Amino acid sequence: MEKTTERALSTTVGRRSFLKMAAVAGAFGATSAFASEKVTRAATEEEVKNPFPGSKKVKTICTSCSVGCGVIAEVQNGVWVRQEVAQDHPISLGGHCCKGADMIDMVRSEVRLKYPMVKENGQWKRLSWDDALNRIATKMAELKKKDGPDSVQFLGSAKMSNEQAYYFRKNSLGDIQKSKSIIIFGANPAVNHPVGFQHFLKAKERNNSQLIVIDPRFTKTAAKADIFAQIRPGTDIPFMYGMLNIIFKNGWEDKEYINDRVFGMDKIRDEAAKWTPELVADVTGVPAEKLIQITTLYAKNRPGTLIWAMGLTQHSIGTSNTRMAPILQLALGNMGRAGGGTNILRGHDNVQGATDMGCLADSLPGYYGLAAGSWKYFAKQWGVEYDYIASQFKDPSWMEKNGFTLARWWAGVAGVKSDDKIENAGTTLKALVVMGNGITSVAQQAKIKEGLDNLEMIVLADPFVNEAAILTDKKDNVFILPAATQFETSGLVVATNRSAQWRYKVVEPLYESKPDQEIMFELAKRLGFYEQYTKAMLMQETRDGKLEMIPEKKAFQWPEDATNEIARIIKTIGLTGWTAERVKKHTDNWHMFDEVTGAGMGPMKGEFYGLPWPCWTKTHGGSPNLYDTSIPVSQGGMGFRNNFGLEKDGVNLLAEKGSFPKGSKIETGYPEITKENIEKVLGITLTEEEKAACGANWKVDNSGILVQKCMEAGVCPYGNAKARAIVWNFPDHIPMHREPLHSPRTDLAQKYPAYPDKPNHFRVMTKYISVQSAADYAKDFPINMVTGRLVTMNGAGIENRASKYIAALTPEMFCDIHPDLALKHGIRNGGMMWVHSPEGTKIKVKAKYSHSVLTGNFPAGTKPYASGESVNTVTNYGYDIITQIPETKGGLCRIEKA
Amino acid sequence: MRKYVTLFIALLSLASVAYAADSQIWGEMRIQNILGYGQEESWKLGPLFTMLQHKYFAWIFLGVLIGVPAAFFIHYKIIGPKVFPHSEKKYYAFNLYNRIIHQVAAVSFLVIIPTGFIIIFGDFFGGGTFVRMAKNLHGIFTIPFTIVVIPMALMWLKEALFNMDDIKWFMILGGYLSKEKKPILAGKFNAGQKMWYWVAILGGITMILSGAFMYFLDFKMEMLHNLTGMSQIDMLRAAAIIHNVMGFAVLALFITHVYMSMFAIKGAVHSIITGYVEEEEIKILHSTWYKKLKDQGKF
Amino acid sequence: MDYARMKFYCDESRCIECDGCSIACAEAHELPVGISRRKVVTINEGIPGREMSTSIACMHCTDAPCEQVCPVDCFYIREDGIVLHDKDKCIGCGYCLYACPFGAPQFPRDGAFGAKGAMDKCTMCAGGPLETNSEKERHLYGQNRIAEGKVPVCAAMCSTKALLVGDSESVSNVYRARVMARGGKGSNSPYGWDKAYKNQ
Repeated sequence: MEKTTERALSTTVGRRSFLKMAAVAGAFGATSAFASEKVTRAATEEEVKNPFPGSKKVKTICTSCSVGCGVIAEVQNGVWVRQEVAQDHPISLGGHCCKGADMIDMVRSEVRLKYPMVKENGQWKRLSWDDALNRIATKMAELKKKDGPDSVQFLGSAKMSNEQAYYFRKNSLGDIQKSKSIIIFGANPAVNHPVGFQHFLKAKERNNSQLIVIDPRFTKTAAKADIFAQIRPGTDIPFMYGMLNIIFKNGWEDKEYINDRVFGMDKIRDEAAKWTPELVADVTGVPAEKLIQITTLYAKNRPGTLIWAMGLTQHSIGTSNTRMAPILQLALGNMGRAGGGTNILRGHDNVQGATDMGCLADSLPGYYGLAAGSWKYFAKQWGVEYDYIASQFKDPSWMEKNGFTLARWWAGVAGVKSDDKIENAGTTLKALVVMGNGITSVAQQAKIKEGLDNLEMIVLADPFVNEAAILTDKKDNVFILPAATQFETSGLVVATNRSAQWRYKVVEPLYESKPDQEIMFELAKRLGFYEQYTKAMLMQETRDGKLEMIPEKKAFQWPEDATNEIARIIKTIGLTGWTAERVKKHTDNWHMFDEVTGAGMGPMKGEFYGLPWPCWTKTHGGSPNLYDTSIPVSQGGMGFRNNFGLEKDGVNLLAEKGSFPKGSKIETGYPEITKENIEKVLGITLTEEEKAACGANWKVDNSGILVQKCMEAGVCPYGNAKARAIVWNFPDHIPMHREPLHSPRTDLAQKYPAYPDKPNHFRVMTKYISVQSAADYAKDFPINMVTGRLVTMNGAGIENRASKYIAALTPEMFCDIHPDLALKHGIRNGGMMWVHSPEGTKIKVKAKYSHSVLTGNFPAGTKPYASGESVNTVTNYGYDIITQIPETKGGLCRIEKA
Repeated sequence: MRKYVTLFIALLSLASVAYAADSQIWGEMRIQNILGYGQEESWKLGPLFTMLQHKYFAWIFLGVLIGVPAAFFIHYKIIGPKVFPHSEKKYYAFNLYNRIIHQVAAVSFLVIIPTGFIIIFGDFFGGGTFVRMAKNLHGIFTIPFTIVVIPMALMWLKEALFNMDDIKWFMILGGYLSKEKKPILAGKFNAGQKMWYWVAILGGITMILSGAFMYFLDFKMEMLHNLTGMSQIDMLRAAAIIHNVMGFAVLALFITHVYMSMFAIKGAVHSIITGYVEEEEIKILHSTWYKKLKDQGKF
Repeated sequence: MDYARMKFYCDESRCIECDGCSIACAEAHELPVGISRRKVVTINEGIPGREMSTSIACMHCTDAPCEQVCPVDCFYIREDGIVLHDKDKCIGCGYCLYACPFGAPQFPRDGAFGAKGAMDKCTMCAGGPLETNSEKERHLYGQNRIAEGKVPVCAAMCSTKALLVGDSESVSNVYRARVMARGGKGSNSPYGWDKAYKNQ
């Protein structure tokens, strides 16, 4: 641990002063009111005795979800002996949910995978790392030679730290406390992000903020809401159009804001006019009066923030859903305001980081895309020839194509029964390499099993046994490798609010486990590209925009050099300021940041906690709220991004005159900054040396001159444009309601049909209308089903079920069912029931009576638990048209007593 | 998908957990248990038990323990024991089966009652290992009694039914308040013995059941809940109250039983050891029975 | 005797049943599986307006009923009001459980024939009668955080800061301020408060 950390701990969290610290936190912030002078009497000598002599405290970050709570690990002689309270962490304030409180068990759990194993003839056998890696590498090389590189599918995970993910937008949470109203669609932060939820509750106390929850279930979040509307799954778009209808009718929209900063709101206005409260009531099941009440409350209490999560995205129209939400915010002028904006709550600890870093099938790291130019930029940055990379693919055209996604990779495996045509460089998938991904957490589990069974090789690297290894009937060539937990390595993680934190290593990897990067490096060595793979970590930028090998640097230091490599390369989203040194300093000094604004104090003044991206330069303090024009760019202000040209159909796409980040030299909209236009836009002249040094545009400029000049002018490098309400390159230009593929309302499915089928969607044919119109599902499967997450579980639940304490809370699978519906089917509370799906699959689960669901419209609160069957066996077909996220939040089922 | 169940390693650790989740006290049911505490419409068993156990139970037990023997001590001093000649004819009244059953019960009582006392006055004995052992013996020796209680009830049921003689017996308190040897109306068992029979059998069964409740603590019996309408914790409280209150009666009569057999009637204890009862004793203390035996030509 | 009374206080308007407190407790004290010193319960689940979650453990009552009924007198109440017990004295009779309004005392089944072992309950992270911070104390009672000058782990790790612990006066001040800020919504005293402390 760093010396500074130790000092900080001994001064601010010293044993004696710990009590007082809690006391001075004030009435609202008071974390634990452990507070009286009378109670904090002087300790006797006996009492001060340290139970763990010689232990040291390591600051690190929880791995459970995207809130990024602080964890203090007490380590004695290399053993993690106690998990301490991270009282002064600016986001969590010492708080944890049950998963976070049990972080120590990630490392200590007795059921960890202790050494590499392989399944041969259906039997698990122990083998050495060398053996395992050699065999895997040989097989991979063989497959590459025989079937081409596209026969191997890699699935990364949001569990890795940034550096690991790399080698494989929203406001800060505290900001919610400034909101006057909060509307939540399809998210249950009380269960999924308990520690983040404290900021919602504080908003209620601080501002008397109105909490509105729209959900098919009466969730734990709804229990704390001022208004709750029970909506039919998959009808969020009509609901929001209904809100807009009322807003426009009453003239509550922010007209100036729309004129200056939004493109295409007219089309939205036209569509909204169709959605009268009465029509919305019919489609969504929410009474017209309630819709009016909610809209009024939300429009009158500004700034209002809008929260969403999987409840909005896991639909065949998920993309439209997530576009609709910001449109609603734009109409009310809530985007880019403190206390406003949209807050998307991400699932895992580093989902944000891993998506930023390119664990996606359609982009290189940093959302650079897959175009040849992007590959060339990366080749240069990695210090390897573009041709070398290209030679690794079947032919260069495949470099620019999307890969399979987590949701549908199985369709590419030979022998899986599926009429969905695939396009995969003339080969089928033969091998699967999974690092820390609970691949059983997505829909249609039966298909996943089929996919696994038909592979030639499966490699699973996890701290605990991956369920996929158990799920498959495959008898040979299934490798399970003991990956180290995230506490046995270190690295940078990105929380849901785009801020970076340093996760310090707590202990050395236990048993024979190895950190993910070591496994990757070992494989790279055996496959013969280790040198090319790690070269970039030994490189640095020079003032004149070139790259050079760092003199005298022979070996890289993991992960700091990888962090710095990322900071150097990823400019699209402004990671330039994220050097290992700066991020560590923030984590070391938790107590110097404000819990609400995240603003630093004392030596950290001028920086926001975790340097939320865009963090434009090595001295920039980060941007806590996206698109906020009320503050200068240097303090995190910005307009909307200019990414889609200057005008469309004769309408200006740049922001109108008078709308610009505070203190900007240019008082109107402007395009993104390139070498070409910088002189004209900023009204400056570059010297010849500067011109020679800088890259074509700010995103690929190694010299940093373009960004530097922008900062000086108070200008945002990506431009200042309008937000698009119309997206002309998507199938629906404005979000349109489309019924779920399996809709309980056949009449509405005809009125609002699904998309036409889409071939070669992430290399797989994906069906929409043909599934929707194939049968009248509602007749045989009259009940609506949605999945949900429990506070005790996350992802596929592998980690949590391995914890004895957490498993004890929910040892069995269950399904929430309304007593009235259950009794109609003769199902008793605690009795077993069958859930059948239109896909022909079924599961047997325990029924749990609950009033939180509607009769005749019941959602299953199921996730795979400690024992029992996975709900994903019965989730239905259906994937988003843009992202291919599975539709687990709106399906049908039929139930019977078991 | 049996594989989940058989292969998933984590499951191993779960087997032991199942009861916690289904617990009638600390699981889902805890809510009902807690909500019911001290409610207006409820029996307020929680506060009642606390008050009784805190203030009364131990004192009452101590009172019985000292008071009853003290009364008998005075009786012994003033009226003295009844002495019957042991040289006369005897009647074989208790066969081997009777005696074994009785002895098993007797031994159980001889352990259960003192250990019960040790628990009640646990603080006097300092708690810890000794009292814990007493508690365990208290439970273990319930098992033999449980085995014999039904046979014992059946074998003496006929003789233990109350009849007209018993009223007269009660009016003169069995003649124990006089030194005269005057025949007293009674069958094989006099009213006092009958009283002890019923307390030992019905009370014993009650003690077994309420004791089992407290011993097993966290069990599930839906029928019982439906029948009583009580939450688990209230049933336990009721069991604890009943166990203590019934304990007073059992204790008082047990002491009486011992006094009678050991002191009040000299040598009476031999009859349950050998099975033979003195003719004189039957003649005076069980005159109705004596008449019957005489009619049958047994003497 | 002017030590303040240490009390727990769970703000139902904030508690979201995340079970952070109960797991933090189990993990910190390395409790056997099946013993949960702290439990989160939800009442009227799914009924809008009436659903309420709260976290329950030993409330360290004034005139603790458990202490009154214990036949071996194994309980003792510290000057700061924390109710503790001596596991070496305890015989596992269960009386404290019957007396407790909150179902706090628990009994591991470790003896033969399902005999109950010594009672276990929340210690407010104050250990037991053994030598402070000794190996044996930690084994029997868990951490002694109070002795170290630390906040009990459940309240410190509460995700929404619903669970408060401290001397009664400060705790009620915090709670009262919150109720005021919410415009008087929420009950005036949290669940079980009067049962445990008789409105003191």
